[in-house]
Amino acid sequence: MLGAYITWWLFTTFHLHPLLAPLIIVPAFFLIGWGLERTLVRRVLGAEPIISLLMLFGVWLVLQSLAYVIWTGDSRTIEMPFIESTVSALGMQFAVPRIYVFVMAGLILIALQLFLTRTYLGRAIRATAQDRDAARLVGVDVDRVMGIAFGLGIALAGFGGSLLSLLFSFTPDFGRELSLKSFCIVVLGGLDSIVGVAFGAISLALAESFGVRYMPASLQNLISFVVLVVVLIALPKGIVGTLRALRRG
Amino acid sequence: MDRGRTIFVAVLLVAAIVAPFVFAERAEFVIDSLFLIFLYGAMATAWNVLGGFAGQVSFGHAAFLGIGAYTTAILQPLGVSLWIAVPVGALLAGLYSLVIGIPAFRLRGPYFSIATIGIGEATRLIALNWTSLTGGASGLTLSAAPPIVAQYFAALALCVGAVALAAWIRSSRFGFALAAIRQDPDAAETLGVATTVAKTQALFISACILGIAGSVYALHYLFVSPGSVFGFGTSIGFVIMPIIGGLGTVSGPLIGAVLYSFVRDQLAVSLPNNGDLLVFGVLLIAIVVYEPRGILGIVDRLRRARRRRAPAAGEAA
Amino acid sequence: MTAPILEGRGLTKRFGGLLAVSEVDVAVGQGEILGLIGPNGAGKSTLFRLIAGITRPSAGTVTFRGRNITNRSAHDVCIAGVAATHQIVRPFRDMTVLENVMVGAFFGRRPQPRGGRAAREAALESLAVCDLADRAASDARALNLSGQKRLEIARALATRPEVLLLDEVLAGLNATETDRTLELVRGIRERGTTIVIVEHNLRAVRGVCTRIVALVNGRKVAEGDPETVLADEQVVTAYLGPTHA
Repeated sequence: MLGAYITWWLFTTFHLHPLLAPLIIVPAFFLIGWGLERTLVRRVLGAEPIISLLMLFGVWLVLQSLAYVIWTGDSRTIEMPFIESTVSALGMQFAVPRIYVFVMAGLILIALQLFLTRTYLGRAIRATAQDRDAARLVGVDVDRVMGIAFGLGIALAGFGGSLLSLLFSFTPDFGRELSLKSFCIVVLGGLDSIVGVAFGAISLALAESFGVRYMPASLQNLISFVVLVVVLIALPKGIVGTLRALRRG
Repeated sequence: MDRGRTIFVAVLLVAAIVAPFVFAERAEFVIDSLFLIFLYGAMATAWNVLGGFAGQVSFGHAAFLGIGAYTTAILQPLGVSLWIAVPVGALLAGLYSLVIGIPAFRLRGPYFSIATIGIGEATRLIALNWTSLTGGASGLTLSAAPPIVAQYFAALALCVGAVALAAWIRSSRFGFALAAIRQDPDAAETLGVATTVAKTQALFISACILGIAGSVYALHYLFVSPGSVFGFGTSIGFVIMPIIGGLGTVSGPLIGAVLYSFVRDQLAVSLPNNGDLLVFGVLLIAIVVYEPRGILGIVDRLRRARRRRAPAAGEAA
Repeated sequence: MTAPILEGRGLTKRFGGLLAVSEVDVAVGQGEILGLIGPNGAGKSTLFRLIAGITRPSAGTVTFRGRNITNRSAHDVCIAGVAATHQIVRPFRDMTVLENVMVGAFFGRRPQPRGGRAAREAALESLAVCDLADRAASDARALNLSGQKRLEIARALATRPEVLLLDEVLAGLNATETDRTLELVRGIRERGTTIVIVEHNLRAVRGVCTRIVALVNGRKVAEGDPETVLADEQVVTAYLGPTHA
């Protein structure tokens, strides 16, 4: 899953220019994801979703342990002048890496939204997600689409991790905390739309930032958990279609 | 259970009871290893009630182990009798599970599982930060441990108890409800199965057993910390054991526990950093892809193949 | 019609902009076999699900024996005494035929048998009624479609319902299997269970139902004995087109 991949290539980045790393990572991870889909994911498509979850979980364990073996559990950071640089604007100091990450993330989301709605491939992916057989019937090459979708997902995860390496230090455990946050974001904003995801992400980020003013920093991660629980209990019809879709499994 | 099985189990039980007296002086590590196997076996069996029988795979069950462990760790040095501390720990774990269950069971399948990752993590963070109660990252130390023989029999009793409970559940009305929920919760609902209630009950049972296991753990190692008992690695262990052995069966978790103990405690010394994670990861992938029913599934497959090749006269297939 | 035991009043269901069922009143009398008919998209299955408690209505109420069961969960509805089968069969795939029915026997309307033996006997009885007793030990997946449909019925029957709701139980069956299933339905009714059947096969409906309700575009357009309803102008038009009336 997310965690191991981010960790892995984060470590790789250590040795290259971080801003250029995605140029290598994105295609490489795409291939890895595509390969994974062809070999492993495909075999468990017929079974219940929990089976593929468990299998990918196994993949995560393998990757995480490889990360431990290769890079050990020591915390890693990327140290270079760029990381420390700041820019003054509007009377405040902004950290350059943060601006960069924000801009990149925004661009990626927009690109993704356009891809999924405007291109044939994007719509094919959405169709396959909704009803695999129906998609086949209208001429979608489902096998190819699955491979591409998976590859794309992994590539984006890698890219995301690359961006994060500019901001945080990390260990092979890194991905796990993030997966909770990603899940929370999905619950808040929805599985179906990029806009929903953006909404969820911003909401969570705001909640966390404001939370820091009132509670010790180490509890910050708990915020996503609390939000998750509250949303789930209080708003079962809540961020509506999402939760209903999630509940119908 | 048929005759052959009953005899087999009886023999194992007798061997287990006699073992400490045979080995106590000569090979204490045997007692130690068996102790761990029984403990892991109880934990795996407990998790399996919710994860295997009811099909709700939880990656956060360490929370319950931790609650039990910490309760004993806090109460024991204060002089509270273990006969009180251990049940209290189990009860607290159970209550916590009820609280968690309310939001968690609104989610289905993989979404539930992902949420449990968060729940386990959150519980660990709470333990880490509630320093006044838990001593934070430095953990808590317990006072004197009960004699190893007593611990051994406690673990054995817990394991036997858990397995017996699981066996009883499996063929009971409750077990039917869980199996129905695992396969098709909506169809189960239309047949009158109150799915949320049943899932909550399964969770409660698994939490209580893990709570007791936590106390046993604490009394053995005499030290608890958020990373050890509330850790994600611990939660993963609970998932791996039944899957390797045979998800949803009664003896599967035990088989998984033996293997887990072997790899973790015996092999781990020869493997590099976290090499055991690698082994488990590979095993998990292999099992899920080739034989989701685990070792018991493989055994069953072999047995069927053999029967097909050489049918004995008068033997039903 | 005999005294109504299951009643839907003003039942309405909206899916986004689509009005699937609109202000439908339907009453089911004790001991009758009520047929729900209508062309595709008329809202039969939706109405069925509203009555069975599988879907919540946007408006309207469902009462059973005077008790309001409108927003109760599916399992509460079953425990109250209203059991439903599914249009697309959903057997528990990892269980045997007997075990499938035992789930119904263990749960459902009270009193529920507590012991395994009592449940097993009740399940066998149910299987016998549905002509599946000889397949009790087979895996549920091994049955053909007709068998699985009968299993679905046996399972619901094992919950000891007062009202049994059957959703398109004849779909996909050949003539022989259809007749066999209709016999089964009659047999169940004879043993005291009230039945509501959603069906496409009009010949079958004419043969087995004591009363019919016809839906077109989510509204009730006709109600009464089979002959009358099936000759009704609106019903005929809905099925066959305007020139046939």
